[in-house]
Amino acid sequence: MTIHNLYIFDRGGSCLFYSEWHRRRPPGIPQEEEFKLMFGMLFSLRSFVAKMSPTDMRDGFVSFHTSRYRLHYLETPTGLRLVLNTDLGVANAREALQHIYSNLFVELVVKNPQCPPRAPVQSLLFRQRLDAFVRSLPYFGPRNP
Amino acid sequence: MADEALFLLLHSEMVAGLYRAAEQGEGENGRCTTKLESMGFRVGQGLIERFTKDTARFKDELDIMKFICKDFWTTVFKKQIDNLRTNHQGIYVLQDNKFRLLTQMSAGKQYLEHAPKYLAFTCGLIRGGLSNLGIKSIVTAEVSSMPACKYLKYSIISPL
Repeated sequence: MTIHNLYIFDRGGSCLFYSEWHRRRPPGIPQEEEFKLMFGMLFSLRSFVAKMSPTDMRDGFVSFHTSRYRLHYLETPTGLRLVLNTDLGVANAREALQHIYSNLFVELVVKNPQCPPRAPVQSLLFRQRLDAFVRSLPYFGPRNP
Repeated sequence: MADEALFLLLHSEMVAGLYRAAEQGEGENGRCTTKLESMGFRVGQGLIERFTKDTARFKDELDIMKFICKDFWTTVFKKQIDNLRTNHQGIYVLQDNKFRLLTQMSAGKQYLEHAPKYLAFTCGLIRGGLSNLGIKSIVTAEVSSMPACKYLKYSIISPL
C-alpha cells in the first residue's frame, strides 16, 4: 500500500504543485509535457463521464485504476484539481484529498499573502506539511518489492 | 474579531494593494510602511476605546502593557503575548511566538524579507492603543524566525 505522487492543477490547466514519493518508472517525457498530458486526459475524462453517464451524476469522475495503480481525483468548486496516484490497495482517497485541500492548501497557500493566486506554489511550509500529512496516512507504506 | 479569515485576507490585500500602488505611482518602500502604520494607529485608537469601556482605570504603565498583552491581544488575535520583558524605564519587549498573521506564510526562513510589511499595521495598532490610553510611544517590530516576532515599545519621555 503506497502513495506514488500528487498533482495540483488550477482551472486553466497549469500545474501549481507536484510532489512524488514512490515513483518506480521515470516518465520518459519532460515534466511540462507530462503535466499537459495529465490535464488533458482529466479534462476529456470529465466531460466524457458527464455526457455518457447512464444515471444521474453525483460526483462525476472520481477515480480510475489500471492493474498496477489507481488515480484519485478531486475537483473543488473553484476549479482546482487534485490528483493522487496510489497503488491498488487504496480504495478511496477522497477524504485525504479533501483534507489536503481544506486544511493544507487553503490554510497555507490561499491565505498566504506571498502566494499569488493561480501561480505555482513556492511555499516551503506547504510542502513540509503536505509531506508530513501524506507520510502519516495509514496506507503510506514502504515500497512493495 | 468577527472572523479571523476575514481580517487575515483583508490585511494581506491591504499590504499588497499599497505596495502595488507604490510601484505604479510615486513613493518608495518606506512610505508604504508608514501608511500601514498610520492606518493601524487610527484603528488602534478606536479599538482600545471600545475594549476598555468597561474596565477600571489602569494603575500604571506596566498595568497597561499587561492589558495589551493579555486582553487586547486575545481579542484581536485570539491568543496572548507569550513573553513580556521590561527594563522598568519605559522600554518593553513583547514577544509572540506564533504571530497569527505570519503562521500561514512560513515556519523558518522563507519569505523572511517580506515579513516586516505584515507587522507594520500591528505596530500602529499598539501605538494607537497606547496613545489613547495616554502613553506616547514608538513601536517597532522585528522577526528573526517566522512565525515568532518581537515588538519593541519605547516611551517618549515628556517633561511632566
